[in-house]
Amino acid sequence: MADLVATDCHAVAGRSAGTATLDAPPDRALVALIGPPNSGKSTLFNRLTGLRQKVANYPGVTVEKHVGRARLTDQRIVELVDLPGVNGFSARTLDERITRDVLEGRADGIRAPDALILVVDVTRLEPQLMLVEPVLELGLPTLLVLNMADELDARNGRLDDGVLAHRLGVETARTNARSGHGLEAVRRFLIDVADQGPAAPRSPRDLSRSAARPPLPIVEAFASRRRRIAGIVDEASYRPAGPSKLSERLDSIFLHRVWGPVVFLALAVLVFQAIFTWATPLMDGLEALIASSGEAMAARLPESWFRSLLIDGVWAGVGSVLVFLPQILVLFLFLGILEDSGYMARAAVIADRMMYRVGLQGRAFLPLLSAYACAVPAILSARTVENERDRIATIFVAPFMTCSARLPVYALLIAAFIPERAILGPVLGTRAATLLGLYLLGALAAVVTAFALKRTFLRGKASAFLMELPPYRLPSPRSLALRLVDRTRIFLRRAGRIILLVTVVLWGMTQVPRIGGEAPPIEESVLGRSGQVLEPAIRPLGFDWRIGVGLVSSLAAREVIVGTLGTIYGVEDGSETSMELRARLQRDLDLGGAIALLVFFAFALQCMSTVAVMRRETAGWKWPLLQWGYMLLLAYVGALAANWLI
Amino acid sequence: MTDPVSRATRPGPDAALADFSAELRLVDVPLMQVVELVRIDLPEDQLEPLLERGVLPGCRLCPIRRSPFGDPIVRVDGSLLALRREMAGCLCVRRIADGPH
Repeated sequence: MADLVATDCHAVAGRSAGTATLDAPPDRALVALIGPPNSGKSTLFNRLTGLRQKVANYPGVTVEKHVGRARLTDQRIVELVDLPGVNGFSARTLDERITRDVLEGRADGIRAPDALILVVDVTRLEPQLMLVEPVLELGLPTLLVLNMADELDARNGRLDDGVLAHRLGVETARTNARSGHGLEAVRRFLIDVADQGPAAPRSPRDLSRSAARPPLPIVEAFASRRRRIAGIVDEASYRPAGPSKLSERLDSIFLHRVWGPVVFLALAVLVFQAIFTWATPLMDGLEALIASSGEAMAARLPESWFRSLLIDGVWAGVGSVLVFLPQILVLFLFLGILEDSGYMARAAVIADRMMYRVGLQGRAFLPLLSAYACAVPAILSARTVENERDRIATIFVAPFMTCSARLPVYALLIAAFIPERAILGPVLGTRAATLLGLYLLGALAAVVTAFALKRTFLRGKASAFLMELPPYRLPSPRSLALRLVDRTRIFLRRAGRIILLVTVVLWGMTQVPRIGGEAPPIEESVLGRSGQVLEPAIRPLGFDWRIGVGLVSSLAAREVIVGTLGTIYGVEDGSETSMELRARLQRDLDLGGAIALLVFFAFALQCMSTVAVMRRETAGWKWPLLQWGYMLLLAYVGALAANWLI
Repeated sequence: MTDPVSRATRPGPDAALADFSAELRLVDVPLMQVVELVRIDLPEDQLEPLLERGVLPGCRLCPIRRSPFGDPIVRVDGSLLALRREMAGCLCVRRIADGPH
């Protein structure tokens, strides 16, 4: 099963079998896009490839490897790979490591590129050109794309492209990737590359020993590189763009002493509101569609074990996960807008002070916010956290954030056990307060854990926090749409593989051992027995064997427990809104047990995808096992305390 | 800003005017005051993120605003960089001139 997950979310650096297709066919040229963050590289990539692209893994917001195809005017195809935005090749971050590995030709699953497109933001050319020396030293055909050229003109900047090209010894093209201006020159470069064809295989080059990692002293090495660039840029009569008036005005609000935090909180509330209320009609619609299509199918099939597998196993199981798609898409739409507009960098600055207190840093804000939808993309997007200790701490606590897979469980138990009473008039009732309490419980566990980790396993000097604040820009609908298409593809793959397998295995466990050729009563089945084996351990928490079965089934994915409980109680409608299921639960579980179960779900790491992606992102089993054990321990102790107290 | 070479090297003796020679920490520089970076008092392994973003000895920095919690946001080479005040306390700078950067 681990291998199955591996092909799903392990394809980060292209090491798993599933990414073999990532490699460009040997007869096609492969071009890599590189550049600093916020240089408009991904927008250019999207312009060149459109929908002919795919992502190798769960996307964080801008941190994974995209591969795509550009069709040239003569119908030939050039393969493109969009590398993560980097400021250098010191391999301090995972992003830098991946970028370096691909450029050096050492990355598994993708061959060394035949040509490079270096994208820079021409409005602040000098620091952006720090990448140009190490890149040119690779000796590959390179195009220097001077992006955001329209902004340079609009904000009174100036540059003689010809002189720059001549002095650097590289072709240049002025573009505005957002509007599509200047793309002809980029396409002409691709035609030249296609004419040359793929280069012969060659031994890996070493970026880290050349200009990228100069011999000591490091300050002098950077300073001399910088002096050379300053000289060249000066010869090209470069004048950087003046400060963006719009950005200054917006910053005076968004980074204001009072309004800054107010807007920050308002936006966080807006994102939550969007996930939990605006996505609900879409989710209800999808749920109804899945249920009715299942019924329609069931009506057409003869009563048999196959119908049971298809409808009760596959359809119900995969369907229970599919309903989260709208919620995740809404979250990523919002995150995409916040990120592309430039606000997210400001949010990170505001969050940094609070996160610094608990041992994290501002860059962890986006991953932890994403974790409210799903920990997997959150863990991947934590690659932008520059300090390794901070990154590990961030991804260690990310699963404590209340992901959407916990919601159906919370919804079922709260509806069954918490009577609705007003606390604050119409604003807050007991049920909403319980839900809010569970969110806070998760966040509190994350804070305490991060705090403890940074004083034990991850102790170290306070890390640097440096955040570049890009000018505010209107997000491009095209890029946003492509991002959502990516998310959908990846989510469907997860539902189609992991959840499908889990539900089929669980269904199988309810079907054996056969008694007189029939499926056994649930307590006699393998699944029922597993719950009974577990019962002595979970008795103190107030759970009986049925809840034990639910816990076993939810080891791989939390939300599966709802469907399993439906099966155990033999309830027709096994969804979290089922009245019958609530009634049965009320009979077998007292209030203390129910609260204990809620607390258990708030803490335990019942998610195979998260464990798998943790193993990949920390290159080993140590962290995922520690995390799994720690969260289970916390869940058990927390549930025990809850059951004892109530 | 005019001569990039001298900008990236140590200033000549004429820069050491009485008012302008005193070293101070970036964290203490008032807003909109352009300063030149003299030295970074950080261990070698923490330098690279700064150096890569153009924060090099000799460069010009101008704190243009403070974040809601008091961390400086500085302009360097036309980019805005947010840093923690702890780090800004490790950047040794010298005043050069008033006016826009």
